[in-house]
Amino acid sequence: MAQNLLELNQIGKRLNNNFALENISLDLRQGEVHFITGENGSGKSALMKIISGRFLPDSGSISIDGQRVVIGSINEARRLGIVHQIQDVELFENLSVAENVFFGHLRRGMGIFLNGLRLSRRCQCLFDHLGVDLNPTVPVSTLGYAQKLIVSACATFVAKGRIVIFDEPTAGMGEKEREVFLRIVSGLRRRGAGIFYISHRLEEIPLIGDRLTVMQQGRINGHLESVDADRHTVIKMMIGHNCPERYPRLATTSGPTVLQVEHLSSAPALVDVSLRLNQGEILGLTGLMGSGRTRLANCLFGVTRMDGGIIRLGNDKVEFRHPADALAHGIAMIPEDRARNAIFDRQDAMSNLVSAALERFNTPAGLNPHYMEELSNEYLKSFGIVPQSLYGLINLFSGGNQQKIVIARWMMSMARIFIMDEPTRGIDAAARVDIYNGMNDLVSKGASILLISSDTEELLGMCDRILVLAGGSIAAEFSRQNASKEKILDSSTVT
Amino acid sequence: MFATERMNIIRGYLKEHKRLEVHTISELLNVSEVTVRRDLERLENDGFLQRIHGGAVPMEIETVGIDIGQTQDDRSAELRRQHDEIARIACLMIRDGDVVALLSGAINQALARCLSRRSRITVLTNDIMIAMEIGTQSGNTAVLLGGSIARDEPALYGSLTLSNLRNYFVNRLFIELDGVTDQLQLTVRSQEKADLIREALSCAEETVGLVEALSFGRNAFYRLGPATTVHKFITSPLASDEYKSRLFESGLQVFTSVNTFEGDT
Repeated sequence: MAQNLLELNQIGKRLNNNFALENISLDLRQGEVHFITGENGSGKSALMKIISGRFLPDSGSISIDGQRVVIGSINEARRLGIVHQIQDVELFENLSVAENVFFGHLRRGMGIFLNGLRLSRRCQCLFDHLGVDLNPTVPVSTLGYAQKLIVSACATFVAKGRIVIFDEPTAGMGEKEREVFLRIVSGLRRRGAGIFYISHRLEEIPLIGDRLTVMQQGRINGHLESVDADRHTVIKMMIGHNCPERYPRLATTSGPTVLQVEHLSSAPALVDVSLRLNQGEILGLTGLMGSGRTRLANCLFGVTRMDGGIIRLGNDKVEFRHPADALAHGIAMIPEDRARNAIFDRQDAMSNLVSAALERFNTPAGLNPHYMEELSNEYLKSFGIVPQSLYGLINLFSGGNQQKIVIARWMMSMARIFIMDEPTRGIDAAARVDIYNGMNDLVSKGASILLISSDTEELLGMCDRILVLAGGSIAAEFSRQNASKEKILDSSTVT
Repeated sequence: MFATERMNIIRGYLKEHKRLEVHTISELLNVSEVTVRRDLERLENDGFLQRIHGGAVPMEIETVGIDIGQTQDDRSAELRRQHDEIARIACLMIRDGDVVALLSGAINQALARCLSRRSRITVLTNDIMIAMEIGTQSGNTAVLLGGSIARDEPALYGSLTLSNLRNYFVNRLFIELDGVTDQLQLTVRSQEKADLIREALSCAEETVGLVEALSFGRNAFYRLGPATTVHKFITSPLASDEYKSRLFESGLQVFTSVNTFEGDT
């Protein structure tokens, strides 16, 4: 039997208090595509970061060609022939397509002054060979997301790695780009490279995979030497054991429909999405990366323009050109990236809290500071926000308490529809408990919540209904009673 | 003077004054402050009082953020508010037509008051105040368990109560926990209360534990069992983060009485 190209032996790595990779042994052979899958947060990306020198393992060993190696940095990994295309696009927006594709080679061979013409010609040759339909001379900033992914993949192709890692490469790609991408992968394989291919798209397994490994909660939960397993076997391996019911959800009775979306489309992420949200209801929305869930939230909040479709609030048709329009209609948004989009950095807790409800404190003489303090104190206390200090800088609060302040801000503005995008991701358990109870507080008083999450357990525990987005449209809807992890995963991996 | 004598005196003093300071007791009994503090510690472990800065208060009236400068009215008002909030959440778990058991205690008394908004509820209780409250609510029915009246609360305990209880089965049982220890053991402050709750557990489909914020990390001495003895906890959002997360991590439902949103109820 041929020697393994790469071998991981009993790798362990503690990433934070709640999550660790444990005892991972895995190998990669020359000229194979080793497919790796697992739920969000099962540790796939973290494991790959160990191979590419971004993380150092706490225990275990790595060998390449039977030689034990220590991969201490990204540079060392590159010297060993390891190329890692990470999940986010990392391109130089102002450079041309050709410069991006050959960037790794510019430094080494061609000196500082680039011969633009020669480079473009070389790139065009490559594109012809791979069947890529892009102009090598245009700046990357003019390309769409899927096209940037292809440029990234081409750059990985020319990097001449022996060990190539793709992390969710096809999330966000259309049918055409995927075809091109699969050609790139086959090209690499023919060249004898070993490829780790992380993806949720189970239908890609038989197309390009040679072997399959399934991860779950930081461990390897299953391994297949061939890829002819049916998708249900794979899904079963992805789920593993179910955790007990620990989500505090108060039963509420939902009322009439308050928000209705009909045939919403927003190219290229969303195609014909229809949904309704009832009063007093928590509606879950999930989907894999690139399924369009954040885009949907942005459309509902007026951040992104829609190409088509109708939004109704109650019986009225509305159009949001700007978040201010959505706010005026009582819609609040708790965005995914709290630090960037929700927190007023280096301001105190009270300023962060009252910012969406200033008109409540408005008097002819300006804002009423006493009422502002009194109400803010009441909010901090009733939501269990610690420290209970109005004038403490927001940066000094824990992530969980910051998130509670963001939610309390929209409660204070008396919004009626709350769009929460990953409200508990990366947040400590105590704050999660209070945030879930805050959701109960909202719906028991007649507000409605659209809860966007990739934590299936959280959705099963908190939601009245769950919608699954796949490939830009609603693939399935489940009621609280008939939803299960398996069904959700199954419908979200269909494209 | 023997320790037991001293403790009896401290008990009597605290019952009468509702608050004591270490230096007063030390002068009164002519013993050192260290001795008094040790006695208070033992009484606290017995679940009789709670030590606060510079002294102690009886177990019943402690509250969050307490200190000796705060008047007793403030403290009990604060605590009453906490009870009302916890009761509000408990009330949301009860549907019209349910059969519930509310065992004696201040939070369950508050819950009984909330139930005036519900109808066709049958309430089984050993608490005289709860029975009287439910009795005045036209839509609901109260069943009072028999037994002997406790000295320090308007509640019935004893073998008669236990044997009465065995005749019933309820949808939901609400119990008040006086202490959730560091090892996540549930405790209450008297033997008869523990006996009654243990008996009641087998007469209910689901058990809900009601806990004041300050009862976490405290040992009330009489053990009921591990945290998994109850199905759900309801406490105040002011409860310590440590216990909220430990209970959640051990797979238990923790309800906190968040009441922030001002939308209509």
